[in-house]
Amino acid sequence: MSLVPLLDAQQAPLPAQEFYADGDPGPIVAALAHVPEVLEVTLPFLGVVLGPSALSLRTKEIVILRTSAVLACRYCVDTHTVAARDADLSVDEVRALRGEAEVAGAFPDPADRSLIGWVDAVALGPGTPPPEVAAAVSASVGEAALVELTLLTATTLLLNRFATSLGLPTSPETLRRLGEEGWR
Amino acid sequence: MSVAERIGPAIDAGRMSGRVWLYTNYHCNLACSYCLTSSAPKVDPRLLEPAAALRLAEEAADLGFRELGITGGEPFLLTWLPELLVDLAALLPVTVLSNGTLFTPKLVERLRALADLPVAIQISLDRPDPVANDAMRGPENFARVLAALPRLVEAGITVRLATTVELEEIGPGKTPEQERLCALHRSVGIGDDDHVIRPIVRRGRAATGGMGVPATRDDLEPELTVTADGAFWSPFAPTVTAGRLDTELLLTRTVVPLAKPASTRLRLFEGRPPGHDTTLGIR
Repeated sequence: MSLVPLLDAQQAPLPAQEFYADGDPGPIVAALAHVPEVLEVTLPFLGVVLGPSALSLRTKEIVILRTSAVLACRYCVDTHTVAARDADLSVDEVRALRGEAEVAGAFPDPADRSLIGWVDAVALGPGTPPPEVAAAVSASVGEAALVELTLLTATTLLLNRFATSLGLPTSPETLRRLGEEGWR
Repeated sequence: MSVAERIGPAIDAGRMSGRVWLYTNYHCNLACSYCLTSSAPKVDPRLLEPAAALRLAEEAADLGFRELGITGGEPFLLTWLPELLVDLAALLPVTVLSNGTLFTPKLVERLRALADLPVAIQISLDRPDPVANDAMRGPENFARVLAALPRLVEAGITVRLATTVELEEIGPGKTPEQERLCALHRSVGIGDDDHVIRPIVRRGRAATGGMGVPATRDDLEPELTVTADGAFWSPFAPTVTAGRLDTELLLTRTVVPLAKPASTRLRLFEGRPPGHDTTLGIR
């Protein structure tokens, strides 16, 4: 049960209405619509950070799903379990990212493991990530990629706390997929 | 180009209204059948504190707006309103809306300072007969308004009258009932230019009761309207239906600086198709 009413197209404030043009924009938009001036700048930002970029879709879904699992964000884990499968991550990989299996067993590539280690360190904190974790990820990605995937982790943290604190509901379509694919 | 540099030319070109409305409160001693804000004595007052109202008025003047409108709820329930009106009128001309039931001789004495200032009090009176009028606005409304009008006029205060009826009752000419109402306001020294007849708008309690004319964004003249809950498209926008604030005509939650919602309104207005606000006569 969401802590605030999710605004539908009929109640969406004027500056928010463009985000409803293609139908139900989802609960994050429907909640942010309460403060349209925030929605107007947040959505383009999220689109750039979470959307297609120089990082591969697979890398991005590893970061988002892992961060969400570490933060125990039910809404984001549900949503990105489906998104990760659509990004061609295997069932074993998704289970490991969700914390239901060992990472080492599901991700034989050291570069993937260093990435996940970085995400865990950034997400869990506190303080600066350990130097050996930073060194490992720096050895496998370039400087720009490190900046981007760190920002992606931080942005996912923001969304995790936002969605969890407000109790945003998983969409019916996501619930259907999770049920069909045996995740629930 | 700054917001202030854009507002003046937009007003001059008739692309936006020069008036900014402030909702000082939402509570009211009446509970009229068609009230947009579903106001009543015990509703959430949603107060716009006087210091906030004054700061907004200062910003409005600085941005190039030319008039202020004060509405509620019943603004004269607020003990600080007479002094606030004096301060606001030092910045911009003010029209304050009222149900006209609270103007005791004592309150009118406090309002005498308004006689020399650009302040008009617009009082609601819908029918020339107490029974028909009070059915919509509450017991004793007609008698109290009829007592208040000459008291205010005698004090030298500019008084206007607003009549709100169903759209079907507004024609090119006045109905016999409206003629009687006009005779009444003329008898206390209020001229025809200071009497507006407007339709009930189907929002708030009017929507719940199936009254009034439906009005969308394009039917409403865009006049920047600030409430404790945010800034809205028009004074007919921040309505309350079944206890919940209607948000579909919300511009921003940020009201200070006023340039923020003013800028959003300019942007949305510039993409606005021609509407029907003049044909429906909603004002």
